[in-house]
Amino acid sequence: MIETSAISPADNSNQPTPASKSLGFEFRGDGMEYFKIWIVNILLTIVTLGIYSAWAKVRNNRYFYSNLYVDNDNFRYLADPITILKGRLIALTALIAYYVASIFLPIVAIVLAIALFFAVPYFINQSVAFTNRMSSYKNIQFRFKGSYGQAFMVVYIWPILGMLTLGILYPLALLKANEYFVRNSAYGTSHFDFNATYKDYGMIFLTVLGIAIVVGAPIAILTYFVPAISVISPLVFIVMYFALIVYVIVSFTNLFYASLSLVEHKFEANLTVPAQAKVILINLLLTIVTFGLYLPAAKVRMTKYICSCLTLHASGSLDNFSAAEKESISALGEEFGQVFDFA
Amino acid sequence: MFIAGIYLDGKTSKRHIARLEVNDDHKITHIHLTEQQQVLSFEQQHYTIESRLGNTPREILFEDAQLFVCDNHDEIDQLITWQENSSPNNITWLYRLENNIKLICLSTIVTAILLYGMITYGIPSAAKMMTHNVPYISSAQFVSSLDVLDKTVFEESKLPEQRQQEIRDLAAPYFSNYKSLKPTLVFRSGMKANALALPNGIIVFTDDFVNLAETNDELIAVLFHELGHLTHKHMTQRVIQDAMLTIMVVFITGDVETFDLVTALPTLLLDLTYSRKFETEADNYALALLNEHNIPLQSFVDVMTRLENYYLTGIEGNTNSAMNDFLSTHPKTADRIKLVEQFNTKN
Repeated sequence: MIETSAISPADNSNQPTPASKSLGFEFRGDGMEYFKIWIVNILLTIVTLGIYSAWAKVRNNRYFYSNLYVDNDNFRYLADPITILKGRLIALTALIAYYVASIFLPIVAIVLAIALFFAVPYFINQSVAFTNRMSSYKNIQFRFKGSYGQAFMVVYIWPILGMLTLGILYPLALLKANEYFVRNSAYGTSHFDFNATYKDYGMIFLTVLGIAIVVGAPIAILTYFVPAISVISPLVFIVMYFALIVYVIVSFTNLFYASLSLVEHKFEANLTVPAQAKVILINLLLTIVTFGLYLPAAKVRMTKYICSCLTLHASGSLDNFSAAEKESISALGEEFGQVFDFA
Repeated sequence: MFIAGIYLDGKTSKRHIARLEVNDDHKITHIHLTEQQQVLSFEQQHYTIESRLGNTPREILFEDAQLFVCDNHDEIDQLITWQENSSPNNITWLYRLENNIKLICLSTIVTAILLYGMITYGIPSAAKMMTHNVPYISSAQFVSSLDVLDKTVFEESKLPEQRQQEIRDLAAPYFSNYKSLKPTLVFRSGMKANALALPNGIIVFTDDFVNLAETNDELIAVLFHELGHLTHKHMTQRVIQDAMLTIMVVFITGDVETFDLVTALPTLLLDLTYSRKFETEADNYALALLNEHNIPLQSFVDVMTRLENYYLTGIEGNTNSAMNDFLSTHPKTADRIKLVEQFNTKN
């Protein structure tokens, strides 16, 4: 191992090798700073009648990626605004073409709608591949290589099965989707893995159902017999509804990271319902009070909170990842991925 | 000049503590890897310096995905100004714009004014222009909308055929002036007292509404209001306006996923504002037409009052009228009656 001169004394304390160290994610962005970037983006987007929106997207994403640090290195967003602009123009053209076709030749519109239905899994694959390829960490790009068949299952078949079984298979649909997207993603040449069970997802659904029944039913019954309570019961329902939504967000995020791994490195997320609820409520309140001007700072606050709860349990060094072969995916596919992103 | 930073070769994730060497001709010559005591030559290499963005690290990209990262903003900015064929103002003006407090305040105000202008004038007039210059869209797009309504809310009219024919005869002379809109009057039930104009020229009167109106003049007043909607192609315009509004909101909020409520609420409120504007426009149109045909404007006031009373009896205790006004598709009846008074004084 190469010793780093500055911090070697601290490193010596973690003697047992391969040293397993816990590295926190950290978001170093600032609400006010992002506000300035955001407002300039909007101004230029309006002045250029939307053309600048492609540059705005890149600047927004660059700000959030570049401020995200793990192990003192930041992520990077690599997309070229021109590529995004091309994608958006194609999307717009496709949309207008569809609109015109639906007026003059309704049959063509139906055919196009069916074609779109079957094209969606392909577009999703392209879109995820584009996003991953445009993300890098320690100058190594992420990758995604999905298959049409699996994407079709994840997008249509599993959710439909979930509905047909009245939700019993719905947790499985979610699990399958996460498995598909994670297992086909890679950091350089190293593949991610996802290990969760049907039970993990099922428990979250059961808990929600349980709370809804245990808290909701007595109030409903009580309100029925004591009409005076009807003044506050809607309020109780709103609070319960909000709490359950936050619970679902928190549990899914925590479960996702707990199930995620990259070779021998593990992840962990420790979001809590009160903290997440506080962030959402403060954001909501300040955004409404400021007529939306707080929106960028709200996004920063949310990102900061979520990142502060994420940990990477690195087993050994993070220096040994290598870059994947250069991919020569046609620009057309990339742009269609963008089209889907936009539409 | 030496700039301290990190070098990443783009092949592995190993970071190297490094120093970037810039010679007296302002050219990047070498990168010194401090730990390995290795010197990489970068003479003649093409490189790009990423633009400055907030406090994020500065990046210089070399060939073969090699990357040099550092936090020395001043030195990198200096390097950019030295770079060939780039005027200094050209590269950093975005960063300057983003960091000048006065300009930011100005931008915020200008953006707010532009947005206000777009919402109140830009989008409505653009939509109006589109609706009136692409006639085919407005008539064909919604051909089947009556079919859809028939399948969902409407039922067969229970009015006697004689009464239906009576009202049709009443409307016929006025319709003859609107051949291009192909107006037809149909009767349905299944909805409360209401009258609506569909974009392909169909005007629907519901049974409850026909029974509510006490004079023929009142029916005519509402008929004129609906003709106003048709003439101005309000339905098409509204669809186009909503589409534009949605695109605008998406542009502004970007990908803020957790804020559905915050983005959906203004869109809805603005849509309702647009809707009320259309109603007022149709009211004005109806008043002008009533005046032209020497029908007393009072019939308009009467039918509006009747409709209001009809709907108010359905609601227990008229709560918070200001809020209702804000959340309504139609202007307040009092305002509509005021419109009649204004119209009277003008003529």
